[in-house]
Amino acid sequence: MSERTDELFGKLKQGVIDFDEDGVIEAANAVVDEGIDAVEAVFNGLVPGMEHVGELYEQQEYFVPELLMCADAMYAGLEILRPHMTRKSLGVTGVVVMGVVQGDVHDIGKNIVKMMFDVAGFEVHDLGRDVPLEVFVEEQLRTDAELVCLSAMMTTTMVGMKDIIKQIKEKNPNARVMIGGAPVTEDIADKFGADGFAEDASNALKDAINMLTTLKKIKDEADSA
Amino acid sequence: MAFTPKERVLKQLAGEEIDRVPCYSGMGNVTVAGLEQLGYKFAMVHGDAEMMANLAATSYKLYGYECAVVPFDFCVEAEALGCVMNAYENVAHLLYPTIKEKAIEDEEMLDKFPIPDDLANAGRVPVVVEAIKRLKGEFGDEVPIGTYFLGPFTLGGQVYDLDKMLKYAFKKQDLISAMLDRLADVLIRVAKIYQDAGADYITVREMGSGTDLLSPRLWKALIKPHLVKIFEALKEMGIPNNLHICGETNMIIKDMNECGADSMSVELKNDVAKSREDIGTEPLIFGNLDAYKLLVVDPAEAVEGAVINALDQGVDAIWPGCDIWPEAKPENVKALVQATEKHGAAKWFRKK
Ligand code: B12
Repeated sequence: MSERTDELFGKLKQGVIDFDEDGVIEAANAVVDEGIDAVEAVFNGLVPGMEHVGELYEQQEYFVPELLMCADAMYAGLEILRPHMTRKSLGVTGVVVMGVVQGDVHDIGKNIVKMMFDVAGFEVHDLGRDVPLEVFVEEQLRTDAELVCLSAMMTTTMVGMKDIIKQIKEKNPNARVMIGGAPVTEDIADKFGADGFAEDASNALKDAINMLTTLKKIKDEADSA
Repeated sequence: MAFTPKERVLKQLAGEEIDRVPCYSGMGNVTVAGLEQLGYKFAMVHGDAEMMANLAATSYKLYGYECAVVPFDFCVEAEALGCVMNAYENVAHLLYPTIKEKAIEDEEMLDKFPIPDDLANAGRVPVVVEAIKRLKGEFGDEVPIGTYFLGPFTLGGQVYDLDKMLKYAFKKQDLISAMLDRLADVLIRVAKIYQDAGADYITVREMGSGTDLLSPRLWKALIKPHLVKIFEALKEMGIPNNLHICGETNMIIKDMNECGADSMSVELKNDVAKSREDIGTEPLIFGNLDAYKLLVVDPAEAVEGAVINALDQGVDAIWPGCDIWPEAKPENVKALVQATEKHGAAKWFRKK
């Protein structure tokens, strides 16, 4: 990697961390103008930036407002770089349907999870909050999403996840479902028949990538057999 | 001398001596058992003063829980300002109401949204007023009648959008502060309306502002000034009060204390022993029991230990950390009251 490339990737990363939207925009434009690989720029600039932001959040250096502003800077860069991304990502990606289940308007956590998936190059269909059960099922079928992410912050609404998972699996056994939100635990995820669970947004992304890598392997093996 | 629940609660809020800690709350405390006894559906009670009052009375009648609190949801003030709520009448299981149409869509309006002149007749305010009057008539001599509203920031999230509020809290702090000031004025007027209806105490629930969401610095700069204003007004009116914040609050407990409320309440995530180190023994701190796990999931036998633990940490009243979850088991809520009666003097640091 040239020094200039390094410099620009560093600026993208630092711009995200400092929620410096203008700085990120400038660096992203330079990447495009100078013909540097946009995929590299996202994965060696914006993504490490967001990862660092996640760490600052865990250490309670940053709180939700800071996180949302970093996300704005990250999205500003992504918007410029995305049209120049010849391939989608470095590794696995896929289509994700995401939303907060019916009766629940707690969507701050879900928005943070969405952010991580966006930056990693997933195609995210965000259904928002207070989403009726059948809408998840329909959207999964419509988009042929590999992964459905359900969020719930209350115990009453969490219960609704079980039916959604069951119906999605009936209609499309290949779709993977991941659940999360404060009341959800590994144990509950198992009981509800979910394929995955994560405590927070960065683990959600890691788990999703693992899950989809395995899924892809199974598919490839089946195809070659 | 035996105190009635009303005397116990109100004397304590006034800073007078009482026999033991009370077991009550400033937040919702209805249970499915109460709903079933009355044959009500949760979705139906929010707009009907008679049902609201009857339901609020059940927790005292069934368990001896020492208060009656209305309303049960978070939409009343927001509706008074023009929001539309969803009670989920057509959903079979119990859901809490939510806002389906926001009052403010346009950022331009944040510091100049319209406020109705006649707040007493706006949205469901008259329903809550009527329910307070009914409860007062039914057992107002014996049981304290509580009510609550959201704090300005959390209310801002209801009328506009909490995500945007969080973002603008930094980027457009002056604009958000102007909005919060307007909302604080609305809340002060609502408090007066509830007081005139007969409410004995008011809880201000600034639940969307704890350090799960905002930094202590931002809390101090943006949230605190408006709460100070509200509690000054409540003091002036002479209505006993409480400041409640869910989630993590240890980092802001000093600032919460400086808001001037008669008492504060916190949830399980607050280490009350640590809070006592930070703000001393004088302030009244209520809490900090798990409103869900302890009352819904755990066996009734677990309750006594949790009550003792809260008292050991230094609470002045046994309060669940949020609304009691409706599926709470009757035997657990009873155990909560009984454990408070049993240990509420002996294990209370002020009596020890
Ligand atoms: C903000 C808030 C509100 C706001 C929500 C606004 C909004 N747009 O989100 C308002 C004021 C509207 C609100 C309303 C209510 N609330 Co509320 N609220 C909260 C509060 C204070 C913070 C939640 C939050 O945003 N946390 C911060 C985010 C970043 O964390 P997070 O959501 O956990 O997300 C992370 C992880 O969980 C994970 N994750 C999240 N989703 C997903 C999804 C997947 C797939 C994965 C893998 C991971 C994942 O990653 C995220 C990032 O790391 C909590 C208390 C608390 N401190 O937690 C109560 C709380 C959630 N509320 C509660 C209650 C009771 C209510 C009400 C019923 C009150 C009432 N009487 O009406 C209403 C319900 C309205 C409704 N029907 O939805 C209770 C729920 C109790 C329970 N166990 O069920 C809580 C826990 C408070 C308490 N102490 O009891 N609330």
